[in-house]
Amino acid sequence: MICKSKPTKTQSKTSDSKEKLLEKEVQVSLLSKKTAAKYSQSSISSQKKKENFADLLTWTEKYRPKVPNDIVGNQSIVKQLHDWLAHWHDEFLHKKNKAISKKQPDGLAKKAVLISGTPGIGKSTSAMLVSQMLGFHVTEVNASDNRGKADAKIIKGVGGNTSNSIKELIGNEALSESKDWSKYAKSVLIMDEVDGMSAGDRGGVADLIASIKTTKIPIICICNDRYSQKLKSLVNYCMLLNFRKPTKQQMAKRLLQIAHAEGIEVNEIALEELAERVNGDMRMALNQLQYMSLSQSVIKYDDVRERLLSSAKDEDISPFTAVDKLFDFKGGRMRMDERIDLSMSDPDLVPLIVQENYINYRPASVGKDDNGIKRMNTIARAADSIGDGDIINVQIRRFRQWQLSQAGSLASSIIPAAFMHGNRETLEPGERNYNRFGGWLGKNSTLGKNLRLLEDAHIHILASQTSNVDRETLRIDYWSHLVKQLTDPLRIMPKDAAVQKVVEFMDTYSLSQEDLDTIVEISKFQGHPSPMDGIQPAVKAALTKAYKQGSSLRVVKTADLINLPGLKKAPKKRIAALLEPVETGLGEENDDALLENEEEGSNSEETDIAFNQTGDKKPQLDLLTDNRKGMEVQLDLKNEEGKSSGWKTTPASKARGSRSSEKGGRSGSSGSKRKR
Amino acid sequence: MLWVDKYRPRILDKMIVHEEVAQNLKKLVSEQDCPHLLFYGPPGSGKKTLIMALLKEMFGPAAEKVKLEQKAWKIDAGTRTIELELAMLASTHHVELNPSDAGFQDRYIVQEIIKEMAKNRPIDSKGKKGFKVLVLNEVDKLSKEAQHSLRRTMEKYSASCRLILCCSSSSRVTEAVRSRCLNIRVNAPSAEEIVKVLEFIAKKESIQLPPEFAARIAVQSCRSLRRAILSFETCRVQQYPFVMNQAIPPMDWEQYVSEIASDIMKEQSPKRLFQVRGKIYELLVNCIPPEIILKVKLLSELLKKLDAELKHEVCHWAAYYEHRMRLGQKAIFHIEAFIAKFMSIYKEFLIATFG
Repeated sequence: MICKSKPTKTQSKTSDSKEKLLEKEVQVSLLSKKTAAKYSQSSISSQKKKENFADLLTWTEKYRPKVPNDIVGNQSIVKQLHDWLAHWHDEFLHKKNKAISKKQPDGLAKKAVLISGTPGIGKSTSAMLVSQMLGFHVTEVNASDNRGKADAKIIKGVGGNTSNSIKELIGNEALSESKDWSKYAKSVLIMDEVDGMSAGDRGGVADLIASIKTTKIPIICICNDRYSQKLKSLVNYCMLLNFRKPTKQQMAKRLLQIAHAEGIEVNEIALEELAERVNGDMRMALNQLQYMSLSQSVIKYDDVRERLLSSAKDEDISPFTAVDKLFDFKGGRMRMDERIDLSMSDPDLVPLIVQENYINYRPASVGKDDNGIKRMNTIARAADSIGDGDIINVQIRRFRQWQLSQAGSLASSIIPAAFMHGNRETLEPGERNYNRFGGWLGKNSTLGKNLRLLEDAHIHILASQTSNVDRETLRIDYWSHLVKQLTDPLRIMPKDAAVQKVVEFMDTYSLSQEDLDTIVEISKFQGHPSPMDGIQPAVKAALTKAYKQGSSLRVVKTADLINLPGLKKAPKKRIAALLEPVETGLGEENDDALLENEEEGSNSEETDIAFNQTGDKKPQLDLLTDNRKGMEVQLDLKNEEGKSSGWKTTPASKARGSRSSEKGGRSGSSGSKRKR
Repeated sequence: MLWVDKYRPRILDKMIVHEEVAQNLKKLVSEQDCPHLLFYGPPGSGKKTLIMALLKEMFGPAAEKVKLEQKAWKIDAGTRTIELELAMLASTHHVELNPSDAGFQDRYIVQEIIKEMAKNRPIDSKGKKGFKVLVLNEVDKLSKEAQHSLRRTMEKYSASCRLILCCSSSSRVTEAVRSRCLNIRVNAPSAEEIVKVLEFIAKKESIQLPPEFAARIAVQSCRSLRRAILSFETCRVQQYPFVMNQAIPPMDWEQYVSEIASDIMKEQSPKRLFQVRGKIYELLVNCIPPEIILKVKLLSELLKKLDAELKHEVCHWAAYYEHRMRLGQKAIFHIEAFIAKFMSIYKEFLIATFG
């Protein structure tokens, strides 16, 4: 193919001997061999035939470098690759030699090489060319091949699919001396696009690493991003070669040769502009050049500029930069598509940052504004539009109306920015005059956490069966009262009495200590004193201690919180220790009723204990004891065995005793259950 | 135990407020059967109390023996399996749950649970009911889809289960569901009724309650009986015997919203808007529902201090942004938009009036 372009030029570049070698290689190689071979033969024959054939090729194929020296830039790396491959067999297969010549630098001691670099700068081409030049037989596998079973044709492996054939290929160096492999002296495996390799591809990277460890042929891996998470483990097993983008001068030089070969009139400055625009991507530059050559034979600087403005590669903009640009003082002059590009650079984060910061801008669109009315109006309109954006976002996400995404970014970022763009000013002293990160995400996750805590407390309260509120009411109506009930006594009453009262209250509603923390935590408001303020640390400690003392009694109350099997949340330790979850799991109607009775009974018993301990005759406790008597009757009817084992014991005066009786009751009742 | 829970009437006969409703309900279930019911009314009016008493009337004391279950649902929805976890209170005769907790997947809960209840139909013996009762709370928060699936299952399984729906606003329950139920409106109790209840409690607790003070509590409770009783108890804890001008402490969050309102009235500037945003966030993070902040509290606080001619417009905008908040997802955006709008209107008004 090179010969086509200008035989004189290629000859000047490559020596005669190399040319010959290449010719041989091209005939031998599996890849693109047909075209290449045909072409090299036909190059000597008539010009017309050549022309016909050339039309079929894109320029990127047509002018693909044929010898390593043709590669634009990165010559030193190509040389390194060449050395590595050339010494590979001495290094790894003929171990005796290797033992002697251990002076080699470390990098060369790896069995595989990892070439990285941005797309279109000739990584695959270099790997291919170097291998061919050294007389290797090339097997190229890229990510897109791996999944298909039809790939068996590349090399006829045992199992018929690529993975097997690769295994065989790397395992059997001997094959190269026998069978149909015999005509190739040596093989090399080129793994292209390894960073696109997923777990579905033959065990992914792990398998590749295993292959590298055992390989008897050199492996060349190629990727775009060496720092990709997937390749973390791979890099340790490979010699790393990083291809850099060629300079624009280097690229322009090569482009100029091609342009001349194609008979296009173009000057070097235009080509340099082209090279710069494509960001080092030779392939793209060639595609662009070919595309332009279709419509015009003379290409000027301006043409290049114009053409590439729209087709420039997407650059990565951080959402902050995007917001900065949108809100810039001169932001009003941007074109609509530029704004859409900016806001779509991250359609989730940009709106959040816009929302966080729009108040900070002094809108340039508002001229003279004595009392800030106009600014306030503008802010209101911007806020309105942000609200629209939120509504659109719901439609997009919940009802999958993705066609609305542009409208969404228009409403949530572009319109507010159009209203508010101007100079940024700080609202709080000491604030840095830069855009803040959107606060919504953090607040939302705190809210989520608090809701979870609230739900926990809510469930505890429901479990206590004293109240039947829903969560919202609990927060709105009960909450401040609960706070008062739980903290006020600690502040005003003497220590022991206060602690007792609070613990008692917590028990009535089966609140745990975590719930107490939750209740305090969720009642804190910025700029208001915390409900815990003014409580002596000693009192707090006493409370904790008192609560812990009674904790063995509370177990049964919260027992119904045991999670059913197969749930993520692990049951709380103390519950798990005392109750076999099977009890709740087994669920016949009758047994359930029984269990409830059990709980009911123990609840009332517990209150009885509290009652005895306090010795404080309160009507509410009387009510409860009455309740308990009712319960007993029920138990008599339903569970005769349970009765015998101590539910009827008079309210125990000591926690210890009652607990044992409770345990007895439990075991007795579960025994009765088993009988059924 | 708090007084609210302690003096909650357990049976229909002991109802102090909504006596008539209670008696009607009693007659309704005396026939051993009942239609689907929909209770609606403002918070603190006694819906839940009525429902629990009704259940007791129907099933006897067994209905009170509830057990809390954290139930996991595995629902096969065509291509995928949805796993949901929901707390429910269950007795042998009824199940109570909050399907709207499942968020946008509430539809599956509604379908699944009714199906399951239909499967385990209790046996009709020894005077037991041949059906189970399913109490669904906050049906007005159910998504439209869930309500639609509800209406089908309501008919299909009506032989084996009765639904008792409970919500604060019937307008957000679809027509179809409403027409399948017997609608029972539970009014907010009047101030006199609240006073009556407070006096009843005072008598039981044997404390002196001056009638004027009771009236004040009733007024401040915004006709929510629950709130009245709670603040009554708070006052009792705070200071007893009561004095005439004793302050009735507001809820923590109410106080905070009032502060926000006065912040907004004092100054209308970007800076103030920014500070207010921080405070609103504070409320939201403390689990105060945004609708309550905007509609119930912030608006009424603002209206208190507003000139008459602006009231209409401000109400309009509050309704407008509340609606948008329901459509949207990030409540703060809409509350902020309302505040910005208010600031802009109010500022304009101030300058037009006072120059």
